[in-house]
Amino acid sequence: MQHLANVSQLRAQAGEAAIEVEGLSHTYAGANGSVPALVDISLSVRKGRFVVIVGPSGCGKTSLLMMLAGLRQQTDGAILCHGQPMPKPDPERVGVIFQEASLFPWLTTLDNIEFPLSLRGTSREERRRRSQAMLSLVGLEGFGERYPHELSGGMKQRVSIARGLVQDPPVLLMDEPFAALDEQTRMTMGHELLRIWSTTRKTVVFITHSLTEAVYLADEVLVMSARPGRIIDHIEVELPRPRTYEMMATDVFGRLRDRIWQQIRKTA
Amino acid sequence: MRRPDPAAVRWMILAALLVLWEVVPLTGALPELFLPSLSKTLTVLYIDRHIYFAALLVTLYEVALSMLIACGLGILIGALVGGLAMLRELLLPVFSSLYAVPIVILYPVFTAWFGIGSSSKIAFAGIYGFFPVMLSTAAGIRTIDPQFLLAARSMGATLPQQITRVIIPASLPTVFAGLRLGGALTIIGVVVAEMLTASAGIGYLVTLNRTILDSPRVFAAILAILVLSIAYYMLARALESRMVVWQSAGRRQQQSSSRGEPVAVPTPAAA
Repeated sequence: MQHLANVSQLRAQAGEAAIEVEGLSHTYAGANGSVPALVDISLSVRKGRFVVIVGPSGCGKTSLLMMLAGLRQQTDGAILCHGQPMPKPDPERVGVIFQEASLFPWLTTLDNIEFPLSLRGTSREERRRRSQAMLSLVGLEGFGERYPHELSGGMKQRVSIARGLVQDPPVLLMDEPFAALDEQTRMTMGHELLRIWSTTRKTVVFITHSLTEAVYLADEVLVMSARPGRIIDHIEVELPRPRTYEMMATDVFGRLRDRIWQQIRKTA
Repeated sequence: MRRPDPAAVRWMILAALLVLWEVVPLTGALPELFLPSLSKTLTVLYIDRHIYFAALLVTLYEVALSMLIACGLGILIGALVGGLAMLRELLLPVFSSLYAVPIVILYPVFTAWFGIGSSSKIAFAGIYGFFPVMLSTAAGIRTIDPQFLLAARSMGATLPQQITRVIIPASLPTVFAGLRLGGALTIIGVVVAEMLTASAGIGYLVTLNRTILDSPRVFAAILAILVLSIAYYMLARALESRMVVWQSAGRRQQQSSSRGEPVAVPTPAAA
C-alpha cells in the first residue's frame, strides 16, 4: 500500500493531475454495525489519460465513482479534482455517464443532450448549436427528434455520452456504460468511445468488470479487490494507439488480461 | 382470412345493441316497464329536453367542482405522501384501506353536514374521486427510477429543478391514470348521491321517474348519464395521449429492459 502511494506521488509530479484521491475510506452503517466498503484508496489520474478501474461485483467501484462525481460523500480521506474538492456535483468540471441509459424518456434526443445546459439558462440557439455538434460527434445525425424508446441500446448510450460531453467538462466519469449492451454492440461502442476520446482528449475514468474492455480501452488499469474494496494493482497498458480489434489476439493483450484476472482471483 | 378491424367491430356491436333496444320492445317480448324502445326514450328526451338539460347542467356543475377537489387534493396530498417517507409510512396504509371502504355509506352523514343541495354531492363525490388520484400520485412519485434523479443531480440540477424537470414529468403517466379513474368516480359519486337524496340533477330524474314508474323517462336519464360518462372518458384519453406522448411505447420497453428480462415473443400457433 505504501508502495502504491509512492507511485501515485511520483505520477502526480510527472504530469499534472486531473484527479487525486488520498487515503479515501468509506464505511456503511449496516444492520450489524458499520460495514467497510472502501479501504485506504489513493490514486492519481493525469490529465488526458484514460484510466479504467476494474474489480469484482460489489467491490465498491461504483461508490468510488459516485464520490469522484460529488454525488456521495466518503467517510474519510480527500478527493481533489483539478485541485479543488468535490463537495457536490459540478458539471463544469465532471460529466458522468451512467450504467443504464438514464435518458429521460419524455424528452427527445436533442432535448436530452441539452438538458444540462437548460438547467443553467443557456440560450436556446446556443443549446441547439452545441447539442447538434454533440449529436454529430457521436454519429447520430438525423436522430435528434426521436424519443429514447425509438433508439437501440447502443444509440441510447451514444446519446448519454453526448449529454456527458455537452458542457465540455475536462473530466468524464463512466460507470459501466456498456454493461447492458450485447457483446457485439459493446465492442463497437468501446471503439467509438476511443474515437470520441481521441478527438476531445478528456480525462476519462471508466469503470467495468470486463477484463477485455479494461485492457482494450485503458492507458492505465487500476485493479480493485473484492469487498472491502482496495486498489491491489496498477497496470500500464503499453499497447499503441489507435487500438485495433486485432490487438486483442496478441500476446501482450493476453498477458495483461491474465495479470488482472490473477489479481482479482487472489482476493475473491 | 383477413382479421376485421377492431374499431369497426366495436361500432358494429354498438349499432347492433341500439337496433336490439329498438326492436325487442316492439316484439312485445319485454313489457315497456322493463325496457321502453329507443325511439320512445328519445322522444321523451326531446319533449322534456329543457328539464333534462337543466338537470344535466346541475350534474355537470357538481361533477366539475368535485373533480377539482378530487384532483387538487389528490395530487397535493399524493405528492406529499409519495415524496416524504415519514408521511408515507404514517398515512399510506390508512388511505389504502379507506379506499376499500364503500364510502357511499357515509353519504347520509354528508347530507346532515351539507344539506341535500349541491354541496353534499360535491363533497361526497370529491372524496370518492380523491382516493385513486391520491394513491396513484403517491405511487407515481415513489416509483420514479432513482437513476433519473442521480443523473439530474450529476448535471447540477437543484432541488426545485429536480422536482419540475424530473419528478413531475416522470410521474405524469401514473398521475394521469389516477386522474382518469378519479374523474370517472366523481361522476359516479355525484349521480349516486343525486339518486339517494336530491331535488335536482340527472340522478334525481332517475329516482323521481322510477317512483312513478315512468320507464321511458328513467331510460332517458340513463342515456344522458351514459353519454356524459363516455364523453368524459374520451376527453380524458385524448388529453392523456397528448400530454404523455412517450408513455405508451416508452414505459413498457423501458420497464422490460431495466429488469433485464427477455421480452416474451408470442410464437405463432402451428398451422
